[in-house]
Amino acid sequence: MPEGVGFILFYLINGLIWGLIIALISLGLSLIFGVMGIVNMAHGDIYMIGAVLSFYFVSLFGNFWISLLIVPLIVALIAAPTERFILRPFEGHPSVTMIATVGISFILQQVALATFGGIPKKISSPWEVSFDFLGVSYPGYRLLVAAISALIIIGVWLFLYRTSLGILIRASMQDKEMASAMGINVNKVLIGTFVLGSVLAAIGGVLAAPISQVFYLMGNDVILLCFIVVIVGGLGSLEGTLIAALLLSSVEGAMAAFLTPTEARAMIFIIMVAVLMLRPQGLFGSNSA
Amino acid sequence: MKRGFTFLLVISLLVLGLILPRGARSLMVQMMAFSIFAMAYDISLGFTNQCSLGHSVFFGAGAYGTILPMLHWHFGVLPSVFIGFLLGLVLAFLTGLISVRLSEAYFVIVTAIFSAIFHLLAMDMTWLTGGDDGLSVTLPKIGFGPLKLSLYHPLGTYYFVLAFLLAGYLALRTIVGSPLGMIFVAIRENEKRTAFLGYNVRTYKLIAFLISGTFTALSGGLYAVSLRYATADFFSLYWSIIPIVWCLVGGLGTLIGPCIGVALMSLFQYYVSAWWTYYLVIFGVLILLILRVSRRGILGYFIGRGARGGWRL
Repeated sequence: MPEGVGFILFYLINGLIWGLIIALISLGLSLIFGVMGIVNMAHGDIYMIGAVLSFYFVSLFGNFWISLLIVPLIVALIAAPTERFILRPFEGHPSVTMIATVGISFILQQVALATFGGIPKKISSPWEVSFDFLGVSYPGYRLLVAAISALIIIGVWLFLYRTSLGILIRASMQDKEMASAMGINVNKVLIGTFVLGSVLAAIGGVLAAPISQVFYLMGNDVILLCFIVVIVGGLGSLEGTLIAALLLSSVEGAMAAFLTPTEARAMIFIIMVAVLMLRPQGLFGSNSA
Repeated sequence: MKRGFTFLLVISLLVLGLILPRGARSLMVQMMAFSIFAMAYDISLGFTNQCSLGHSVFFGAGAYGTILPMLHWHFGVLPSVFIGFLLGLVLAFLTGLISVRLSEAYFVIVTAIFSAIFHLLAMDMTWLTGGDDGLSVTLPKIGFGPLKLSLYHPLGTYYFVLAFLLAGYLALRTIVGSPLGMIFVAIRENEKRTAFLGYNVRTYKLIAFLISGTFTALSGGLYAVSLRYATADFFSLYWSIIPIVWCLVGGLGTLIGPCIGVALMSLFQYYVSAWWTYYLVIFGVLILLILRVSRRGILGYFIGRGARGGWRL
């Protein structure tokens, strides 16, 4: 067991790495809420689907990296019609979308239970290297996950702030009606955003599969943290989501050094309640959200 | 005519206890306990348009608030049910204070987080809750002077729960029919205008949330009494979703509607879960279908056909 500075650092880095994965998933959640007003309860289950599909592809091809490429594509193919034909009529009404996505969540979970089974399974680490750092040996794959997540987040950021399609999405986030009046094809933006958000969750699932267990209820744990993140960061605020994800996960990671996981989660919850008391719209949220 | 209908319903419930076979009677007890839950939930969703996903907190708290005093301090059944009821009131007040002032999207998410955190804690604190395995309890006899009622008598639990159902229905009926109930409906129909009329919307939303949470706790307590058992699973999100399903199936904004929803869904679950393990898929599909057809629920759809309104958002 590592001691002293290395010990704390170990947990902090662990928290930060989870923070990057959580940031990836929450960014999708926040984007989907911001553009179409969907509170997506099924987001955690899309993460789960990502992990489950990854498990199948790894056992099929024996190569983890192929699944990282294919799984997002499959999820995109599922997400697009889901948005267009199931969720479209509910958009803009937070509680209706929440109930509707609970319905979708039930369906996804039960399908996973029926096909994948109820027993947690493991994927072996695709990169069996470990680094020594301040007397602590750290698995290389986790660092790689952090790097990939960070790269994807930067990519999404560049996409949203530097490309014309990203500008369309942000314009729709600010004012959908006006965006439509300016001649933006809102239909495409809606489908595109939902696909992007879902793909982010699925990538999170694929990346997390080797460092956690693949289980049909694994999404519940993640969606809870993601919801706390978007609440603290401010619903629909992308910067807020990112900062809150990194901050809360690091805090939770550091506290896991002294507390049980449930106690650490309860502390995060208390932080959320405190933030809500002071700022009901979250740290970076606008008043109208 | 409506009064006659209610009277007929009460009489048939009283008689059913005597004539139903054992299995059907225990299903009926469960339905009656859930009916209180469904009506209570509708005060929140159907009457004030507060879509809470945190009611499992009150359901679980009511169950444990009822079971624990009997188990540890050998309280009687009635005082224990009352303690569960009070625990629900306290928790509804605390969670309501935080969540009622939030905007709609924040409200649903934060209440869902409450439910998830309480479930986590309940699963973790096995010394208090017994975790997933739960706690069993032996019910003491209830004494009314010289008369002693044992809930182990086949009819005991049935009439015990029925009495609470009738009392709960009357209490909620009175609230809904009072000026307070009118304000609830006004908030549902148009929150801004109600505020312009000079009502403190937040306070009334909190009151509705309190009533809803407290009666949910009562239902949890009765359910635990009928099972002689409580488990940490009562805190799970499932118990926050199921009342929405009841209300959607039965019809929002009424008291009888959710009870019909309970009856239909309980029968459905009873028969379907026996031959298909993955019946929750049907739940999911059902939720999506009903929302698509009418956000007022099935009964609300037939009653309100042509009429304006519905679940305003």
